[in-house]
Amino acid sequence: MKSSTEGLAAKSGLIAGGAASGPEALLDVREIGISFGGLKAVQKFSLRLPRAGLYGLIGPNGAGKTTVFNLLTGVYQPDSGEIQLGSQRLGQGKPHEITAAGIARTFQNIRLFPSLSVLDNVRLAGQLHNRHGLLSTVIRSRGYRREEELLRQRSLELLQIFELQDRADELASNLSYGHQRKLEIIRALATNPKVLLLDEPAAGLNPQEKFALAESIRQIRDRFQVAVLLIEHDMPLVMKICERITVLEYGITISEGTPANVQNDPRVIAAYLGAGLEDA
Amino acid sequence: MMRGTSSVGSDAAAVAKSEAAEVAVKGNGWTGLIPIAIGILIALVLHFSLPAPQRSYNTQILQIIGIVIVLAVSLNIVNGMTGQFSIGHAGFMAVGGYTAASITYYGSMLLWGSTVKHGGFLGSGDWLFLGSCLAGGLVAAIAGYVVGLPSLRLRGDYLAIVTLGFGEIIRVVLQQTGPLIEDIEALQSVGLKQLVPPPLGGSLGFSGIPKYTNLFWVYSILAITLVVAYRLKSSSAGRSMISVREDEIAAQAMGVNIARQKVTAFVVAAFFAGVAGGLFAHSTGTVSPKDAGFQQSFDYVIMTVLGGRGSISGVTLAAVFLTVLPELLRDFEQYRLIVYALLLIIMMLVRPQGLLGIHEVWEMFNRRRRKAETSGSDVSPAEVGS
Ligand SMILES: Nc1ncnc2c1ncn2[C@@H]1O[C@H](COP(=O)(O)OP(=O)(O)OP(=O)(O)O)[C@@H](O)[C@H]1O
Ligand SMILES: [Mg+2]
Repeated sequence: MKSSTEGLAAKSGLIAGGAASGPEALLDVREIGISFGGLKAVQKFSLRLPRAGLYGLIGPNGAGKTTVFNLLTGVYQPDSGEIQLGSQRLGQGKPHEITAAGIARTFQNIRLFPSLSVLDNVRLAGQLHNRHGLLSTVIRSRGYRREEELLRQRSLELLQIFELQDRADELASNLSYGHQRKLEIIRALATNPKVLLLDEPAAGLNPQEKFALAESIRQIRDRFQVAVLLIEHDMPLVMKICERITVLEYGITISEGTPANVQNDPRVIAAYLGAGLEDA
Repeated sequence: MMRGTSSVGSDAAAVAKSEAAEVAVKGNGWTGLIPIAIGILIALVLHFSLPAPQRSYNTQILQIIGIVIVLAVSLNIVNGMTGQFSIGHAGFMAVGGYTAASITYYGSMLLWGSTVKHGGFLGSGDWLFLGSCLAGGLVAAIAGYVVGLPSLRLRGDYLAIVTLGFGEIIRVVLQQTGPLIEDIEALQSVGLKQLVPPPLGGSLGFSGIPKYTNLFWVYSILAITLVVAYRLKSSSAGRSMISVREDEIAAQAMGVNIARQKVTAFVVAAFFAGVAGGLFAHSTGTVSPKDAGFQQSFDYVIMTVLGGRGSISGVTLAAVFLTVLPELLRDFEQYRLIVYALLLIIMMLVRPQGLLGIHEVWEMFNRRRRKAETSGSDVSPAEVGS
């Protein structure tokens, strides 16, 4: 278990150092699929997400969007297909190994650690590349203390960027709904990902908040140079910020392309019964 | 809220990408040992200022309290911090106790010809004893690893049943051991027949163990246990364990290897339980199969529940309380379990998170103060809408 984690981490280190960038996709998903019993939740899903790209994944309720995220992050193992991040195959990795390799996510239903403080939620995510083990922890070696202090400073800086530093010592469960959604994104960023998967980050926010969120997703992509894949039901938001969009219905990709193309695709319009797309 | 969400400051890239330069930390490599040194100093003072346990009932109680705290605080690493439910902690204690007892008992015989206590304070006998306790801890830790493995697949009730089963298996196995070898002559002429099953006293228990345990050893080891538990809790390692308790799926998504965290919790907890078993065996001079049983384990579970899941100071207080209480109520021995059950029921109704919840005593005071200072300004107008 240990060695495989380290193997992944080492490999991802190689990729980061080497000249792996280029025209090819950072995250290359080829025809992955999964079924639950008889239900084919996702079939032949493919995606080529470039470095620092901002792509969207949309579809009606139950289309299989969250299931795609679960496949990408190792919560489910795909029945078929391949997932590659840089030059690294991810297909059968455990969730924590995939996070270490560079894919982080948020959850559709907020999943913060409620009885940990805001700062500790961020620190937990930021500590995944820590090197110090149990022994240096209990004797509080110098190296360990330095590492913990660095982690604390980085986590606080991250909170500061998103203007949550004043709430650092509060329990995550005491934050307002909007702040909790924001903390989910901060926490995912703290793992220092190459790819950030956002599952309906705007759900439950009011129009102004959604507008602000759209802005901040773009800024996150630019500042952190992270590729973003966004699930969102709010069409105007998706159309506005995404470079390309994949549309799912009943687990099948019915359309893929630029917002303008997707918007005018008759199959997409049929899937949504035309609703909400005209005004986007 | 609005302002907050939209602004991603310009220093973001710097934070994300820069390998931060040296971070300054106070103190040198030895600073970390200071609290442990202070604890050992206190243990020394206790040891030399109070009468020996053989001569004073109160010292005996004080000694038992120390051992019980080690057991409760270590169980709290599994049950409180990591959120698993083990009710086999006494099993680990017994494994440690029997291991340590056989080392000092047979070791003394081989080294010094008899099981009589050898040497004075910090004499050679004391070091044999300390080594035996560490060995007990290590053997218990191995058992902890084995018992921890099912926790990767089982949850809640099912895991509880496995740990309960472990304790009971240890109890039954210990009952099946052979009679003790009484003296050095018998030991020298021992045949294979007397060694299989191992001569650990059978259902009568292992008795005649040299009584090396004293306040110095108990409170030194207690100090180490408390320091280790607290440092675990307030470190990255402890945060990982707590994240497993809070939400396994989110923990994995944040890069926590939950399998490793669960097994680590079991191993660390079992180690300290094993060491405590060594202390226990050498304090009364006997350790018996029933010490591995469910009833003993249940006591420690109650302490973690009463004290607060994850609160080291809370569990310590509960351990003291629940050790002293039966002593005060000696005449009502038969009602002990009823009192425990009532306590649990009341606690579940009034304060299900335990005495201190997940907090430490001193944090409770801080919180109250902070609440008082910031009350009213807690909610900014902007976020009322969201
Ligand atoms: N673990 C599972 N076992 C069985 N069925 C599942 C499982 N996970 C998802 N499904 C099914 O797969 C389908 C796709 O679900 P998914 O959650 O991916 O949809 P979604 O596109 O995210 O929908 P929403 O917009 O409502 O979040 C649904 O029919 C769902 O019931
Ligand atoms: Mg979903």
